[in-house]
Amino acid sequence: MLKDYFIYVAKHLLKRRLRSMLTLLGIFIGMAAVVALISISQGLQDAVTEQFESVGANRIIIQPAGAIMGPFSSGLSNVKMTDNDVNIIKKVRGVEFTTGITTSIAQVNFKDEITQGYIMGISSDSYTIGFVKRIGVLDIEQGREFKAGAKYEAIIGNIVASQFKARNITVRDSIEIAGKKFEVVGILKSGGQGFSGSGIYIPKETAKEIFNLGNDAPFIPVKVADGYDPLTVAEDIKQTLRRSRSVKEGQEDFTVQTAKEIIDSFKQILGIVQTLLVGIASISLIVGGIGIMNTMYTAVAERKREIGIMKAIGAHNHDILLIFVIESGFLGFAGGLIGIILGAFISKMIEIIAGMAVEGLTLKAHFSATLIIGVLLFAFALGSLSGFFPARKASRLQPVDALRK
Amino acid sequence: MLFDYLLIAFRNLKKRRTRTGLTLIGIFIGIATVVSLISLGQGLQESIIQQFESLGSDKILIQPGSGSSLSGQTMGSETNKLTDRDVEVVRSVKGVKEVSYYVYGVAGIKFKEVVKYSIIIGIPLDSSKVILESMQNWDIEDGRDLRQGDKYKATVGSELWRGRYFPEKVGIGNKLDIGTGEFRVVGTITPIGNPSDDSQVYIPFDVAREIFNKKDAVDMIILQTDQGVDVNEVKAAIEKALRKYRNVKEGEEDFNVATTEQLLEAFSAILNAVQIVFIGIAAISLIVGGIGIMNTMYTSVLERTNEIGIMKAIGARNSYIMLIFLIESGLLGLVGGAIGIALGIGLSKGVEVIISSTLGITYLKAYFPLYLIIGSLFFSFVVGCVSGVFPAKRAAKQNPVDSLRYE
Repeated sequence: MLKDYFIYVAKHLLKRRLRSMLTLLGIFIGMAAVVALISISQGLQDAVTEQFESVGANRIIIQPAGAIMGPFSSGLSNVKMTDNDVNIIKKVRGVEFTTGITTSIAQVNFKDEITQGYIMGISSDSYTIGFVKRIGVLDIEQGREFKAGAKYEAIIGNIVASQFKARNITVRDSIEIAGKKFEVVGILKSGGQGFSGSGIYIPKETAKEIFNLGNDAPFIPVKVADGYDPLTVAEDIKQTLRRSRSVKEGQEDFTVQTAKEIIDSFKQILGIVQTLLVGIASISLIVGGIGIMNTMYTAVAERKREIGIMKAIGAHNHDILLIFVIESGFLGFAGGLIGIILGAFISKMIEIIAGMAVEGLTLKAHFSATLIIGVLLFAFALGSLSGFFPARKASRLQPVDALRK
Repeated sequence: MLFDYLLIAFRNLKKRRTRTGLTLIGIFIGIATVVSLISLGQGLQESIIQQFESLGSDKILIQPGSGSSLSGQTMGSETNKLTDRDVEVVRSVKGVKEVSYYVYGVAGIKFKEVVKYSIIIGIPLDSSKVILESMQNWDIEDGRDLRQGDKYKATVGSELWRGRYFPEKVGIGNKLDIGTGEFRVVGTITPIGNPSDDSQVYIPFDVAREIFNKKDAVDMIILQTDQGVDVNEVKAAIEKALRKYRNVKEGEEDFNVATTEQLLEAFSAILNAVQIVFIGIAAISLIVGGIGIMNTMYTSVLERTNEIGIMKAIGARNSYIMLIFLIESGLLGLVGGAIGIALGIGLSKGVEVIISSTLGITYLKAYFPLYLIIGSLFFSFVVGCVSGVFPAKRAAKQNPVDSLRYE
C-alpha cells in the first residue's frame, strides 16, 4: 500500500524533472551550509575541549583579580599574588602540586628580527621539572626540559618557533630575550595548552632577575590530587586565601578558576557564535521550504483532474493528503541527503585550507551521528510541513469540480 | 510598447497569486537579511569612524611595547615602559602642538561593601587634559570635572551612576574605596557606548601612579600636531627622536607610534572580514530565492505554452517572447527586493533597539545609505532577471506549431 504511494510519487517527480531538480537545489544548498557550519564549529569545540582535557579537568588556576585580559594583563592590577600565596595554597588539602609562574612581555630578537614575546618564568628545580614532565604541562616535541639549575635556557612554543622570517628556530639556536642571550633547549608540541604555543618559558630565577619581579607569582596553576573533587579543593583554596589575605567573602582580590569553568565559558562563547551563524544560514532553509511549498501548489493545480478521478473511484481525503505530503517530504529528505554530502565535502575543504593557512591548527570537522540523523529528520519534516497546506488543498477538492477542470 | 509588456507580466503574476506570493517571500526574506546585516555592519563602521573623527586626524598615540597592539590597550606586563622623560622628548619634536598622557590599571572599587574590579584611569589635571578628554569622549554629564588641586576625587562612568555596575547607583558625593584611598565622586561621565569603557573610574594622575606603583611611567601618550603639518612626517620624527633617546635601532623599537588613521584602518579591516562572512552566509538564501524564481518561471512557461504558440503564430518574434518572460521575472525580483528592504530596515532598527537596551552598546546603529537601498533594489532586479534567463530562452525557442498542439 505505502509502496504504491512511493511509486506514484517517484513517477510524478521524475515527470517534472526540471522542477524537482530546482526544488531540490533550493533545499540542499541551505542544508549544505548548515551542515558545514555545524560540523566545523563542532570540530573547533572538540579541539578546544581536547586541549583542556589534556591539561586535565583536575586543574585549578589562581590569578590576582583584575587580570581581565588574561595572565599577561596581571601587570594592570594593583593586586599582587606572591610566592607567599603559592606556599599557602601548597598546604591546602587535595593540592598535589602548585607553582608560581611569572608573566612578562618583552622583546625577543632572532637573527636581527624583533617581536614581542610572552615570557613565562617557571621554576627549574628538579621537583618542579619532574612534576611538569609527569603532568605534561610542557609538552616538549623536540629537545629537552631545563637542566636543574639552568639559567639561560628557553623552551619556546611552536608558533614562536615559526614566527621569524629568516627561518624556523630549532633546538640549540640562540635567541635574545630583553637583550639577554638564551639557548633554545626545547620546542613545544603544536596545539599545546592555552597560550603555550605563543609563549616562551625560561627559568623563573632568571626571569625575576632580568625583569625585576621580586616574589611575584601572577599565575598559579594547581593540580588536584587524585580522589579529590576539584570544586571542593577550589573552595578550600578560596577560603584559605581569604583568611591569609584577610578579605571578606564577595570581596576577593583574587580569582580561583577550575579547568571546567574555563572550558565552559569558552564553550559558551563558541556556542553563541555558532548559533548566530547557523541561524543566518537557516534562513536559506526557510526559503527552500517555501520553494517546496510553491512546487507542491503547482503540482496540485496541474493534477486537479487526476485528483478528481482518484476521488471518483473511491480515494479518501486522507489518501490524497498522504500522497502529497509524501511527495513533499521526499523532496525535503532527498535535499537533506544531498546537502549532507555536499556539506561534508565543504567542511573537509575548509579543514584542509585552514590547516594549510594556520600552522599548528588541528581543526577536524566533526560529523556526529546526531548531526546526520538530525539533519535528515529535519529535512524530511521541513518538506512535509511545507507540503502540508498544498496537500490539504488537494485533499479538500470536490471531485466534481476537480473533474470539470 | 514596454508598458504593454509590463501589463502582460503584471496580469500573469496576479493570475497565479499563491505562486507569485510564495516566490516573493522567497526573495524578500533573503534581501531583508542581507540589508539588515549590511546596515548594521555599516552603522557599526560609521560610529567607529565618527569616534576616530572625534579623535581628529591630527592626533598621534604612543604606547610601550613593540608590534602593533590592536586592542589599543597595553597589558601592563611590558618590560619597556614609557616615562615622563619620553613625554619630554616627544614634546620637543617639531610639529607637536600639545602632549597629554595617562596611566591606567585595574583595581578593586569598593562601594557600600561590594567590591568590583574595574579599569581606573589617572588623568593629568593640567590644560593638556582637554585633548585627552575630547579624544576619548570623556564628557561631564553632571557635577564637575577633576581640576587642579584635586587629590582623592573621582569621576565615574555611566554604568556606575546608572546603577548597572554596583547594586546601587553611584552618585555625586558618594565615597569609593580604591586601593588604599577613599575617593569622593565629584562628577559623572556621559555614556561612551560600551559597558567596558562605561564602567571606568577617573582619578587624578599622581594618585593613580601611587596606587598602581607606576613611579615615573606613563601608559599612553596622546599628542596633537600643529595645524598644517603632515601627521605622518611628525610620526616619523617622533619615532626617530624616541629611538635616539631610548637607544634602539630602527626595526627594534620597544614602543609603538600610531596615527589615528592607522588605527582606523586596522579596525576597518577586521570589521570588513566579519561582515563578509556574515553577508556571505546570508547571501545563500538569496541564491535559493533566485532558484525559486527560476522554478516559478519554468512552470509559467510550461503553463503558457499554448499562449506562446498563439503569440508566435500572429507574428511575435523570439525576442519579444523572451522579453515578456524576462520582465516578469525581473519584476518578481524588484518587488521582492522592495519588500525585503522595508523589512530589513525594520529588522535592523529592532536589533539596534534590543542591543542598546539590553547590552548597553550604543555603537551598533542601523545605517541606511542611499547606495544600500538603490544597490539592493538593483541587485534583486538582477537576481530576478538572471534567474529568468533560462526559462525565457526556453519560451522564446518554442516551435509555434508544437506549442499550439501542446495540451
